[in-house]
Amino acid sequence: MMHDEGGTAAVTTLLVLPLLLIVLVGALELGVLRAVAHRAGAAADLATIVAVGDQDQAELARTGTLRLSADASEIARDYFARNLAGTSSALASSAAAIAASADIASFPSAPSFDPRTGTRYDRPTVRLFASVPVRTPGFAALLLPSVTTLTIRSASSPR
Amino acid sequence: MKCEAVLLAAAIVLLTPLTAGAREPTDDERSVPPSPPPDDPVAFVVPAGLYYVTDTYVGDVVATTGATTTYSTTTVHESTGTYARILDTVGTGATSAFDGRAFNGRGELTDGRALAGTYYENFVLTANGYLPVSIVFFQDDSETRRQEALGSPTPPPASTAPTGTLAPAVTSGPAGTSAATRSAVTPAPSPRPTAPLAPARPALRAGVALAVDGPTLSSAEVLRGRLVQFWPRAFANDVAIPVRSWRVLSAEPDRISARSGGAEPFTAQWIRMPPPTVRWTLRFEVVTELAPAERLETQISITVRSPALIY
Repeated sequence: MMHDEGGTAAVTTLLVLPLLLIVLVGALELGVLRAVAHRAGAAADLATIVAVGDQDQAELARTGTLRLSADASEIARDYFARNLAGTSSALASSAAAIAASADIASFPSAPSFDPRTGTRYDRPTVRLFASVPVRTPGFAALLLPSVTTLTIRSASSPR
Repeated sequence: MKCEAVLLAAAIVLLTPLTAGAREPTDDERSVPPSPPPDDPVAFVVPAGLYYVTDTYVGDVVATTGATTTYSTTTVHESTGTYARILDTVGTGATSAFDGRAFNGRGELTDGRALAGTYYENFVLTANGYLPVSIVFFQDDSETRRQEALGSPTPPPASTAPTGTLAPAVTSGPAGTSAATRSAVTPAPSPRPTAPLAPARPALRAGVALAVDGPTLSSAEVLRGRLVQFWPRAFANDVAIPVRSWRVLSAEPDRISARSGGAEPFTAQWIRMPPPTVRWTLRFEVVTELAPAERLETQISITVRSPALIY
């Protein structure tokens, strides 16, 4: 007696294909999300490094020690927005809005204590926390949230 | 013929050397940081009564001859490139606004009254004008013991020479006619002439600052890659005096503006990071306008840092 196995394969494919598509879409979206997270983290790192490089020259001449300039936080915020702009197509909010809402603190002299993280800094430090909303249409297609928020943090000091 | 002329013209054009005038892309990397432009000339304010010093203070002299003790000042005929002016001429026992400000002090008679004499202020000429550096008191007084004075005819006026002379334009009068008031006191005379006092030289020191008028520092932190200006400075009795020249004795920067200089700062840049916990040292030799023959050494230790991530 002959069995038609072609029909079985077709049914199996019909059943498995959606699952494969779900896995594929999820994997692709996770990859995109990871790439955006990497770029947003790099944007934050570079912003804090730039801010730390801006030192108070008068204090340096007076004491010989490095001390952050008074506007270090604003410098970090400005450069965070500039650096994020390159990733704006993937963001659910504007780079400027994300930078504006970021929690950026400068600790001009050392030692100092960060009440948010409980960290003790031995050098003048700029610390940045930011919530970066990222569009995730792939997740939306899977009935998951269409926006995923990444939490980025960075801190730099002259060492 | 025409062809030869053309060939000749072409040969001349091709063989004539031409300067390309192109810009080397690495010019910027090799360039030494430019020195700041010199300050605009400023009209000097010349203190009133200023003159060029040709006789320099050496020391105070107290000499006793018979019943008379003479207080005078010795000088040496020498030009150190400084200027001076008279601040005040005071009589015996009189007070002056400059008491306590002269580096050699103002002596006293045996009865405790202050000596007569003249206060002079010394100046050095700098790029910014005449800079006061010190005040000196030229004593010019004498006293005679009363017992001998009463028991013998009045002695002739003391023969104190006008040694309190800083320049030909300034002469102290003879002891008997100067501002000094001769006095007769009773204390026992000094048994022997007092040796000339050693000249009180101002204490010179040098230091390194990170600003033209900044405080001197023993150490400093610098950021990697930054151009940092170091200003060798000098002080006489903790009063800033002009630096004539400076010279780098040892340094480890990757780039420096010059090995020696004058009024301009020393500019340095560190590209390489030192090993952890290692501090570098900049040592300078400084020559001042006040004492050109004296070489002062100073140093500053440098810690090079670079912005880095904590997390």
